[in-house]
Amino acid sequence: MIKTAPIAITGLGCLCGAGMNLAECLESMFRNERNPHPPVRFSTDHPVSYPVLELREDFKLPLDDQQTIYARTSQLALAATLEALTDAGWDAASLRGKRVGVCIGTTVGCALNCDDFYRAYKDGDDPEMAAIERYLRSNPAAVIARQLKLDGPNQTVVNACSSGTDAIGLGASWLRAGACDIVIAGGADELSRVTYAGFSSLMITDTEPCKPFDVKRKGLNLGEGAGILILENESVCGAKAPRGYVLGYGSACDAYHLTAPRPDGAGLKQAMQEAFTAAGVTPDQIAFVNAHGTGTPDNDRVESRVLSEVLPGAPFVSTKGYTGHTLGAAGGIEAVFTVACLQRGEIPANIGFADADPELPGTPVTENTRIEGTVALSESLAFGGNNAVVILGKGAA
Amino acid sequence: MRMAISGIGISGGFGCGVAALRQALQCGVVEPRQCSVERNGAIDTFPAYRTSLEGLDEFIPKRALRRIDHFSKMTLHSACLALQDARLSGGDLSRMGVIIATGYGALKTTFDFLDSYLDFGYSCSSPTHFSNSVHNAAAAHVSMQFKATAPSLTVTQFEMSVPSALLTAQLWLAEGRVDQVLFGTIDEYCAVLRYCRRQFFATGEQGPLQPFTFTEQSAVVGEGAAFFVLSRGEEDARYGAIDAVTLGNHAVVPLTLPHDDLLIIGADGHAKCGRWYAQALTGRAVAAYAPLYGSFPAAAGFDLAVAALSQQDGILYASPATAGASDSALQVVAARRPLGKANIVCLKFGPGGDYGLIRLSR
Repeated sequence: MIKTAPIAITGLGCLCGAGMNLAECLESMFRNERNPHPPVRFSTDHPVSYPVLELREDFKLPLDDQQTIYARTSQLALAATLEALTDAGWDAASLRGKRVGVCIGTTVGCALNCDDFYRAYKDGDDPEMAAIERYLRSNPAAVIARQLKLDGPNQTVVNACSSGTDAIGLGASWLRAGACDIVIAGGADELSRVTYAGFSSLMITDTEPCKPFDVKRKGLNLGEGAGILILENESVCGAKAPRGYVLGYGSACDAYHLTAPRPDGAGLKQAMQEAFTAAGVTPDQIAFVNAHGTGTPDNDRVESRVLSEVLPGAPFVSTKGYTGHTLGAAGGIEAVFTVACLQRGEIPANIGFADADPELPGTPVTENTRIEGTVALSESLAFGGNNAVVILGKGAA
Repeated sequence: MRMAISGIGISGGFGCGVAALRQALQCGVVEPRQCSVERNGAIDTFPAYRTSLEGLDEFIPKRALRRIDHFSKMTLHSACLALQDARLSGGDLSRMGVIIATGYGALKTTFDFLDSYLDFGYSCSSPTHFSNSVHNAAAAHVSMQFKATAPSLTVTQFEMSVPSALLTAQLWLAEGRVDQVLFGTIDEYCAVLRYCRRQFFATGEQGPLQPFTFTEQSAVVGEGAAFFVLSRGEEDARYGAIDAVTLGNHAVVPLTLPHDDLLIIGADGHAKCGRWYAQALTGRAVAAYAPLYGSFPAAAGFDLAVAALSQQDGILYASPATAGASDSALQVVAARRPLGKANIVCLKFGPGGDYGLIRLSR
């Protein structure tokens, strides 16, 4: 791995349980507010109700006729993309003639989780194909490319919970390789009855609002949303003042277990090291870490140990207390927050944390905290043993 | 950056391994299996190109495969064959990246998970089915099996999964993130898929698969896995190399192709995709091999395997079915011919005019 060139981030877009756009998200997080509640959009017969962080019910895509054409994940991706493009000074017309790539991470957005359709099929009915047609129309990267009439590479990454972080790192690589001039990169995922049932079956969901890194942490709260960054090469960015930079990206696989992180964190350390080398920065330059911090006992234990070993003293925060775990969207949303926090010069309190776990060598920030420096790190751990890290720099905008 | 192809592992309706694929190309005929699904008391019989897992336990003990689903078993089987073909079995693979391209992921396990809560209630949802239904589970099994701790990636993008994922393989090698990439393409058949295809295409899937009757639905469902060992080293290029991967949309910016290249097209009897080949290609020498392995999104990887074998053999094999060729302005390769100095380009269209172009050379 060699040092790679910085890639300008010129636009940010985000929506999730913390807010319907980036400004709302930041406002609620720095007020240390969150709103977990039982799922509203679906129900189950599960005897236990697990809180989730859903988008407000007034979510509506800012385009006509799209509410039913595309699955919800793609609608979320489109909404965040439009916010990010506006932030970067682009609209669909001004993108014509540019080589624009789309790299989006997701999990639910690519799964054939049409359980109403499948229930009818099992019951011996002949269910209509509308749900399947919607699924076939709704590949998130393809939807963005189609909707904006883009000509360039597009890729939907399904690396479970590191998908969004991977998508940003890969999108930056496309620009460095000259595959395109602009990349729309990030992650999107919707709340689904299927993942709700799946995570509860694994017994890693909390019955209360999640408590990342706390001694009483019992698991995650699911969330939904999308986080998108607009990445541009130098010739397109020109004299524009970027919001930030993608400085480096690293990825490594634990090759250990399908769902549990490797206890010694070797894969995460390897991904961090690769990202440092690519970024050409040293650990002491890291102003803060946006941790994966799901609130599950295993994840937080491994992550805390690795952070204290590789980045001793660096302040860290999990924003999943505000957003829930948005799965494939998490890396995108957290990268957006990381860039925005570098710009603000502060990070929000790690909501849900109250009491330190004596097993964990580090504790997250417990109140809104001023940060010094211009470089931060955002990391994601995933099913399949994937670890992905992006190192982000502060921009002049 | 050129990616040398040093090993191929493949299993599909024609059998397992490079020799089986070569045999199928030489004889030009693979009969799909007659499959049947019982539903509401009626038997639906239809042709399908199914794959077998024969020989997998020569690589991995049966005991270790107990909780691994059919999708991941197909993945592991072809992955093992590819590493064996590249003479990398048993070596240190910690710097080998793993990339998997799939159109639909582990369909059967996805529905098995839904069964677990639809049949027994949400509190009985199966954690094993859930964790194996996640799209990157197959890649995780590969990484664990070979202790491959370098990056792992799974891409799902229907027909464009293969070219899109290949673009990332190229970047990983160029950036020095990995020494090799174990690149796999895979899709599986399941009964729900049959139901969907029947609803969409009515009786149009009874075969035979005719790739050049672009406007008619003649697809026959298939499944399988094709794996490639890719590296930077020219000395590893036993099957030639991949020079370039390009993705775009013909409806936005029309596709242009170099004139002297021979085209292997991913036409597989899907009318919605076929129309784009008819539009974009005129007067070109083309071949299509879907009648040897059937129709499924990851079959673009099978086209790539045919291209790689053709390069090794110095032969472009005859297209197994040529019906409809005379109606189009194409020069369909109807008899095997020497490759000469020509390069091969694999072209795959999606239903919206999106395309992936993979250019190979020796």
